[in-house]
Amino acid sequence: MFNSFIDGLLLIFQLKPFVFMLVGAAIGFWVGILPGLGGGTTLALMLPFVYKMTPAEAFPFLLGMHSVCATTGDITSILFGIPGESVAVALIVDGFPMAKKGEAGRALGAALMSSLVGALIGAAALTLAIPVVRPLVLAFGSPEMFMVIIIGLTCISSLSGQGKRGSLLGLMAGGFGFMCSLVGQDPYAGIHRYTFGLVYLWGGIPLVPVMIGIYAIPEIIELIVRGTAIAGEAPAENLGRGVMEGVRDTFRHFWLTVRCSIVGALVGMLPGIGGGVAQWIAYAQATHSAGSREERTGFGHGDIRGVLGPGAANNSKEGGALIPTVAFGIPAGPGMAILLGAFLIMGIVPGPDMLTKHLTLTFSMVWTIVVANIIVVTICLLFINRIARLTRVRGNLIVPFLFFLCFIGAFTTNNNMNDLIVLLIFGGIGVLMARFGWPRPPFALGYILGRIAEFYLSVSVSRYGGSWLLRKGTILLFLIAVGVAFYPFLKERILRTKEAGT
Amino acid sequence: MRYGGKMMMSLGLIGVAAWVVVTALKWPLRTAVFPVTIGILVFFITIGELFLGLFEGEEATEKKPGGEKVSLERVDQPLPTRKMLWASAWAMGFFLLILLIGFPISIPLFTFLYLRLHGKERWGISLGLSASAFGCFYGLFVWLLHIPFPDGWLQRGLRVLGIV
Repeated sequence: MFNSFIDGLLLIFQLKPFVFMLVGAAIGFWVGILPGLGGGTTLALMLPFVYKMTPAEAFPFLLGMHSVCATTGDITSILFGIPGESVAVALIVDGFPMAKKGEAGRALGAALMSSLVGALIGAAALTLAIPVVRPLVLAFGSPEMFMVIIIGLTCISSLSGQGKRGSLLGLMAGGFGFMCSLVGQDPYAGIHRYTFGLVYLWGGIPLVPVMIGIYAIPEIIELIVRGTAIAGEAPAENLGRGVMEGVRDTFRHFWLTVRCSIVGALVGMLPGIGGGVAQWIAYAQATHSAGSREERTGFGHGDIRGVLGPGAANNSKEGGALIPTVAFGIPAGPGMAILLGAFLIMGIVPGPDMLTKHLTLTFSMVWTIVVANIIVVTICLLFINRIARLTRVRGNLIVPFLFFLCFIGAFTTNNNMNDLIVLLIFGGIGVLMARFGWPRPPFALGYILGRIAEFYLSVSVSRYGGSWLLRKGTILLFLIAVGVAFYPFLKERILRTKEAGT
Repeated sequence: MRYGGKMMMSLGLIGVAAWVVVTALKWPLRTAVFPVTIGILVFFITIGELFLGLFEGEEATEKKPGGEKVSLERVDQPLPTRKMLWASAWAMGFFLLILLIGFPISIPLFTFLYLRLHGKERWGISLGLSASAFGCFYGLFVWLLHIPFPDGWLQRGLRVLGIV
């Protein structure tokens, strides 16, 4: 096994695979920055190019591209408040307020370094999981998946404001997101729910226009009204010196970064759940690290830990997602499903052979994630100060480009003009939510998890009847969910007692 | 209590939740179970929030041991409504332009109009940035990624009339 591990490294440093990896990483860099076009879309666009490649060339090319997309998606989220990737929404919550305070460099430095740490931990998870992957993944049936989603939903309590009304507003926003996810065909009988007779809504309301609308449109409207640069009147000196500060922040909160990376790798491993969930669980983890109630109110207004958590989880989930794809041929998400197509084009059948006959190729995938991320993060860190200066450009000059990115980002999701209507409707809802103090992260979480939750519940009930509730794994995960739900209240109580004592 | 926007939003959500539940009641049990459960939960939670608002006021607060009320939220200064409506009108205008003349023309046109009319920028800057917006759009999305962009209503209308 150790020989295969080293051979995998040597394989990607051969001339052709290395060049293909660099080309893939360069494409992934730019696609990651563009909103709407995700890693999955890029993989689909690039798939025809791998026909003439050998497996040793194709996988560095595709994986180099895919793993880098998640890293550079953070840049747009932080600088402009537009999610570069649907998995980079949680980064906006604290990243964009930091950009508005003139700390874009620091936020970007932290996001990139935590992404690198996350990618390394994700790759390590993939390496360590190879010998033990089978019992681990097979232990998770649909009831356990449903319970993992319930754990994700309980994070709403961490993403809400403080106090009774803060919690209620969070639950309302989460519930509203959940209700929006109910649109489309139901998973039991295919009955159309709340579709108003529109074929467009049969598959549900698309995620990317909703997220761009909820997060980006309100920020652009605010930018137009304020009439200043994104960084406003913040002192210019913070901008230039922030990158290294952000890098140091990653190591200052290293345990949080590692914790969130592990969360990302574990959630990424579960088919059908993916980065959308991992980022919010990681964000909830980050909010738990607040040492006082005053510190807790800083989240959502530019706390660096709110950047580190999701940044790390976004990248570690890539390594995790490769585990079921490679070992079982079960894709963990849309990107991995397309990668599975590449396996078949190459004449390789994912499964036990990948852990025996093709072990060197499997390890070369691990190394591709590591090396591509190291290269891209290093290059980004060298130039990020210049990119951060965009936040000081006059708002008037930048607003048309932001609208352009939002509309194109929404359209390119499905190449459907209806996506623009969805963008505007949810943009309006986002503006109202921002104006009247409704927290937006619980909405995003409810919306992302609603559909998956119903799907796994339907499969669980159909497959096991009522007995799914009595499975050991389900009970254990339910208890964890109860713990996660009550932890913020418990912590608030502890902090209140501590404050009263001082 | 002030009958503010926050209250109107809560009332709106109560209405949506009620509609979700009532609509779902017509469906088979399995199809309806999720919408009904979520709808009822949201309905009652929102009513609870409204009542709390009636007694506590608009802002989330907490009483300190001395009886003094402290805010639990960092509330940003609200933006002026009229300016927000104008800003939203630009977003809507861009959408209408796209519908009417399609992406390739509306992107440089919108950029130019925004820079000249709202930004009061000079002709050179407005023209230069409009050209670069078109360059970015065409180079990246049309030439490199081959994304098909539909024609606007105007182009389609002209084609139907046989003018183009």
